[in-house]
Amino acid sequence: MSNKKTRYFVSISAAILAVGLGTGFVASYMGLPVSVFSSSAAPEELQYVPADAAVVAYANIREVVNSDFRQRFKDIGPSDKDNNEFEEKTGLNLEQDVDSVVAAVMPKDGMANNPAGSFLVLARARYQASRLEALALEHGAQVSDYNGKRLITHKDEDGTGEEMAFGFVDADLVAFGSLSSVKASIDARASNRNVVSNNEMMKLVNEIDNANAWAVGKFDAIADKAGLPQQLTQALPAITWFSAAGHVNGGISGSFKAEAKDEATAKNLRDVMAGFLAMAKMQAASQPSMQQLAESLVISGEGKTVALAFSMPGEVLDVIEGLAKGRKGL
Amino acid sequence: MTTGHQAIGPSGHQAGRQTMSFFAASRRVFDLSLGEMLWSRRTIFMALVVGGPVLLALIVKGIEMYGMSALRVNGQRVAGFGIFGVMIWMLFLRFIVPVLGVFYGTALMADEVEDKTVTYLFTRPIPRGAVLIGKYLAYLTCTMLVVLPSVMIVYFLLVPFSQLPSTFGNLLIDLGLLALGLAVYGGVFAFVGAFFKRPLVIGLVFAFGWEQVTLALPGYLKQFTVAYYLQALVPHAMPPDGVTSILQGMFRDNPPVAVCLAWLFAYLGVFLWLASRAVERKEYILEQ
Repeated sequence: MSNKKTRYFVSISAAILAVGLGTGFVASYMGLPVSVFSSSAAPEELQYVPADAAVVAYANIREVVNSDFRQRFKDIGPSDKDNNEFEEKTGLNLEQDVDSVVAAVMPKDGMANNPAGSFLVLARARYQASRLEALALEHGAQVSDYNGKRLITHKDEDGTGEEMAFGFVDADLVAFGSLSSVKASIDARASNRNVVSNNEMMKLVNEIDNANAWAVGKFDAIADKAGLPQQLTQALPAITWFSAAGHVNGGISGSFKAEAKDEATAKNLRDVMAGFLAMAKMQAASQPSMQQLAESLVISGEGKTVALAFSMPGEVLDVIEGLAKGRKGL
Repeated sequence: MTTGHQAIGPSGHQAGRQTMSFFAASRRVFDLSLGEMLWSRRTIFMALVVGGPVLLALIVKGIEMYGMSALRVNGQRVAGFGIFGVMIWMLFLRFIVPVLGVFYGTALMADEVEDKTVTYLFTRPIPRGAVLIGKYLAYLTCTMLVVLPSVMIVYFLLVPFSQLPSTFGNLLIDLGLLALGLAVYGGVFAFVGAFFKRPLVIGLVFAFGWEQVTLALPGYLKQFTVAYYLQALVPHAMPPDGVTSILQGMFRDNPPVAVCLAWLFAYLGVFLWLASRAVERKEYILEQ
């Protein structure tokens, strides 16, 4: 390799390989913050979701609140009086201050009797931490520190339920759930062992496209621990994974995708759904607006997957809006 | 010489001069050949072939940056690592690796014969087989230094950073697989180049005729291909991109990893030995 050009070429190629391999090794075995180089659609909050989460859901509250859909149905939601009361106490305007919410379920034994112990909610918003802390203390909560994060815990008066907590895990991010869930959330971020390292879950998350609300999960993990009645468990199709995604703007569009345990189950599920779809189309034939909704339903999938996509156009929303306002007497 | 041909026989080097060891000779040929290979006209072809996936990845990245999805299958978005898998299958494994193997492997000796420079190599006091092995190692280094960084760039362009921990293992498998593919195809086509008269045609027929057809047929013939063992090791799902792929997918069976590796290394060893032996024994006719 006496040639200078050759030496440069070899050095540059080797450097590209070394940098790539080095980055990959560091990211895989030591973990790096996702935000450093990430272009993933997955929200940063997932770094606070423990790796054993069986269901993860996300909603971009800001986009949903600003959507035409929300503006249409604004009158139907909680009254301004209720909102003002909440804002006075907490300093938080739900419409203006909340940006996004992530919810996760970490299935545990006994989840059926104590569902709250398995949930974790992460809400990104503009908080007035001192005001919230003072309000919590007024109501008998305890304040403590855990791994450098402020935790506010509260136990039922009779002391029987699991201790609930909320912690300021970031300046604008609060984790809420059972004390064990909130601590697990802080640990997940600190150790970089979080749901982002869960390959199967992240595969589903990254497949979601153009959605401002979504949920993905391992169906069988939830069904096993949820203590569902045996008849119901037997009647449920053998689904392993599911994902649901929706985009709310002028209308609503969305998709649901599930992976069955085997191809035969998936085929049965597709057949059943096709039957329901045919029935829905027959029912909607007399109402043009609902017919549009029925026509937008598309069943797809192959092998072990089943997918259903829909789109709710503005005309359907007009009908629903009319019905809802009629009921409220607006 | 009266017929217009010059014959270089098996004992081409000058008697009386001390012959270098096989290893030292191979290394010397490697040093000489690497620069020649990297800066030859063939490199332009290699740069185009390998630059294509990088350009494609840049386009996909650009499309995704605008919130659109670059690839959809049955209405479902194929995410970054999925597209990377498709590129590994369709561009690297099915095209780039065999095509580089054919073009470089068959040319290792054929170019020297065609340029009539084989005489200079064979009159050196080095074992003839070392010429082929040195050139083969130069080919391997040259192609690996171009292909593997290209794969690395494509990977980092397509796969979001958050997916690195879950996909990095597969990238390592891909890199190893492509390196092994280049080595085995290089070995096979080095033999073709050293033994046959029209090596390029034979190489192309083998890589894009024989291998593609036998993989799409039921039966045991596919076991006499490199692609059968190489494709069984790919960690990505085979993309259904046409009739050939569908047929290959239908008749595809995956032998165990150990069997695949054993066969691939056996191919490599046997064909390199055969190539080396061919160079040692063959009498090359240089047309005047």
